[in-house]
Amino acid sequence: MNTPFDNDKDHLRYVEYVLGLLDADARADVAREIADQPEAAAAVARWQAWLTPLAIEVPAIAPPAHAWESIRRRLGLAEPARPGLWESLALWRWIGVGATAVAACLLVLTLTRPGVSTPPTATAPAVLMVATIAGDDGVAAWTATMDVERSELLLIPATPQPVAVGRDTELWLIPEGGAPIAVGVFPSAGGKRFVLPRDLVSRLGPSAALAVSVEPTGGSPTGQPTGPVIAKGAIRAA
Amino acid sequence: MPATTLAERDALNDLLRRTGTRDEKAFAALYKATSPRLFGVCMRLVGDPAEADEILQDAFVTIWQRASSFDPSRASAFTWLITVVRNKAIDRLRQRSGVHFASDIAWDSIVDELPGPAAQAEAGEAYAKLRACLDELEGQPRRSIREAFFAGATYNELAERAKVPLGTMKSWIRRGLLQLRACLGA
Repeated sequence: MNTPFDNDKDHLRYVEYVLGLLDADARADVAREIADQPEAAAAVARWQAWLTPLAIEVPAIAPPAHAWESIRRRLGLAEPARPGLWESLALWRWIGVGATAVAACLLVLTLTRPGVSTPPTATAPAVLMVATIAGDDGVAAWTATMDVERSELLLIPATPQPVAVGRDTELWLIPEGGAPIAVGVFPSAGGKRFVLPRDLVSRLGPSAALAVSVEPTGGSPTGQPTGPVIAKGAIRAA
Repeated sequence: MPATTLAERDALNDLLRRTGTRDEKAFAALYKATSPRLFGVCMRLVGDPAEADEILQDAFVTIWQRASSFDPSRASAFTWLITVVRNKAIDRLRQRSGVHFASDIAWDSIVDELPGPAAQAEAGEAYAKLRACLDELEGQPRRSIREAFFAGATYNELAERAKVPLGTMKSWIRRGLLQLRACLGA
């Protein structure tokens, strides 16, 4: 007679398969069962849904820059249309990629894009630039990514600093030796996509920096920072 | 910091679904959004960057080819994608001859690596429930199950690494899994 434990042991093959505990032969047996028997497939799917969330504990690592081109080549896909740079903001955050990894991602993207393989000269700024905007403690509060071609700046919260009710955070571009130029107010924890005016885009570069100050609701009334600067960071080529 | 919203999860599901309709732009966005996490999983399983690179590429080739079979009512895109990568990596581990560990990590150091609070919040309810159920297990079963997941190792390899007899390792893991099933299915 089958005891409940025998049945259990039989059933455990499915989770043993999901975890990767089985040797090659036993693994192939279960793979066949999954293909043939809906109940086996359902049991395996249930364990996968239960256990895969553990994968978020594994640190994200930027894959080698050539990987994406290789994949496209193997699939016989045409030269890549430029992927929408901003499309996956919410996904990046959901997947838990930290600010550094985001920058690394963008680096990969830049390197895999055609036409940017030659290093930018001092007079021709990189198409993509990034800045880690950190507080005095060195902790990254926001990451900014700037796309010169599209005149866009994307601000992604990393460890944003909370601000009091009735105050706004405002982003500033600080050209070397120049006065701060207002980029705009943004929700501290939410991040924002800014469309930059042309004269502001022309000032982006390795000699400039970004800073965040706390201002009255709606932003600084004077056009210059009036509240404390809570984070800043230099701009660099991605 | 907001936790996972349904909109964000739906966005990933949508990218995978659109990839299944041969939408190259969606495929590119999917790669960009998920490849660092998936490459991290490959690296943890096989240890070697060149091999992890091959597995990642194989996985995305498969993802493009099979995305049309993705059914969001049966699995989340996250589970579907991780499963493709893990299956490829584990198949490859099984092809290796002899015992070959992904990495030499001290057995005791793997006990409770916790992700940062942001990652935890973002992983949502499924992760929170799994964590809670794992925490109910005794130390050895919990440790063994976690290491099985992260390293994709067989019972034999795990027993060797933990320096216990094979039967002991099997009993730890099976007992833990039964308990886990009762907790997760509750």
